[in-house]
Amino acid sequence: MSLCNSIDTLAMAFLDDELAAEERRELELHLLDCASCRQHVDGERADISLVRKALVAPPASALLKARIARALDGEDAEAARRERRRWSQWLLPGTAIAAAAAAILLFVGVGAPRPGSGSAVIGDAARQQTSSFPLEARGVSTTGQLLRNLAPVELPQFTEPGIELIGGRLLPNGIGNHDAVLLQYLVTLGSEQFQLTGFVLKDVRGDELGGGQGYQVGDQVLRIHDANGLPVVTYVDPRFRVGYVFASEHLTAAELVRLVVSTDLIGRAQRTR
Amino acid sequence: MAAVREKRAEFERQALVHTDALFGAAYRLTRNARDAEDLVQDSLLRAYRFWDSFEQDSNCKAWLLRIVTNTFINEYQRKKRSREVLDAASAEQDATDGVLMHAEATDRRSPERALLERSVSDDVQRALESLPEDFRTAVVLCDVQGLSYKEIADIMGTPVGTVMSRLFRGRKLLAAALREFAVAEGYVKTDSKPDAGSADNDEAIDLGKYRAARAARGDSQS
Repeated sequence: MSLCNSIDTLAMAFLDDELAAEERRELELHLLDCASCRQHVDGERADISLVRKALVAPPASALLKARIARALDGEDAEAARRERRRWSQWLLPGTAIAAAAAAILLFVGVGAPRPGSGSAVIGDAARQQTSSFPLEARGVSTTGQLLRNLAPVELPQFTEPGIELIGGRLLPNGIGNHDAVLLQYLVTLGSEQFQLTGFVLKDVRGDELGGGQGYQVGDQVLRIHDANGLPVVTYVDPRFRVGYVFASEHLTAAELVRLVVSTDLIGRAQRTR
Repeated sequence: MAAVREKRAEFERQALVHTDALFGAAYRLTRNARDAEDLVQDSLLRAYRFWDSFEQDSNCKAWLLRIVTNTFINEYQRKKRSREVLDAASAEQDATDGVLMHAEATDRRSPERALLERSVSDDVQRALESLPEDFRTAVVLCDVQGLSYKEIADIMGTPVGTVMSRLFRGRKLLAAALREFAVAEGYVKTDSKPDAGSADNDEAIDLGKYRAARAARGDSQS
């Protein structure tokens, strides 16, 4: 009888409550007739019972629980310190450092942007940055669709935590004769919240977003401009001739450029080479 | 800092309630209270750091036990081996320096810790010591923690059939060792060990294979 041949397996699964209802019934019926298998199950039951009784472990001591609470307090304090540091210096946290380090082969030219630089396109973007058009798309999915209708690109992904895409809209007059989509982000840093505006421009020639100060990241170049005191960072993805413009009144030029470096834009362009 | 407070409260509510259970597993895996406490603390700290990656609807205890088991396998075994090498080296040094003293006197750990370790060196820990590590892990996860075969298989990264084999053989070896100690120390008069089972290879214990054979039988009959 095949149940006898598999009795080790069946007895263990039976006692561990791992048999399906039908398998269990089949075994129970078999045990009524088979003394040898019954003895087997009894032996297995005795072993399991002995092992379980022997292995009952003491609870964790109050001392250990206090130690764990202290360790978690230390972890929380460290998180708070990191947050403060990030706000005061905008240091990239661990994950962002890793992402940026992968992308940054060469990162040169740190310094304040030269005043007065920036083309007509950038001036136009800076003006529209403060305008209050209603958003026509909200959330990642509909805004992503809006963007794809404009150009064959995906939404820029920030690796920094605390940056949330609110939505976007197609700009009725474009920017500097380019069809363009405005992206609105909400940045949360500690108790501070402010807006970051991004623009994605179609059919951009390489030199149209030129000027300002160049930052080389791998084989790609970001440019930082000063539009009457407003820092603006631009990048042109040469594959699709799509331009990206980012601006925020609440950030310094150095903070803004670090934030843009932490997106996946440059990584995407490099991966497809 | 509201986010930090919220994370901590959630972690306490979902994870820290399992501290006793984690200590139980760690105590039987490491076989001493000192290492078990370190293992639990390290594992919980690690879990806290990766709390964002915990899927809120899944089994938190199983997730934590996976961290405890992996940390044990990856770090404690390595640490223990290096400590043994150091202990051996220092014992050798003492011997060559002619300061071979009673073991208690050469114990450089705190008296409290030494006491803690001595008090748990019981028969059960000795019996566990005799088990191969994979068998011990399977037995601890099943018989101390009450996890299912599937949950243990996920934690150990092995098929369910392998878990069953390790569990079966681990229990047999452990039960035999426990009975042996009991006889040797006069708790029981003779070895009253019941039938130890006939399985002596990994293939013998596998519910999946049994089910496949049963299904095939059903097909051939129909």
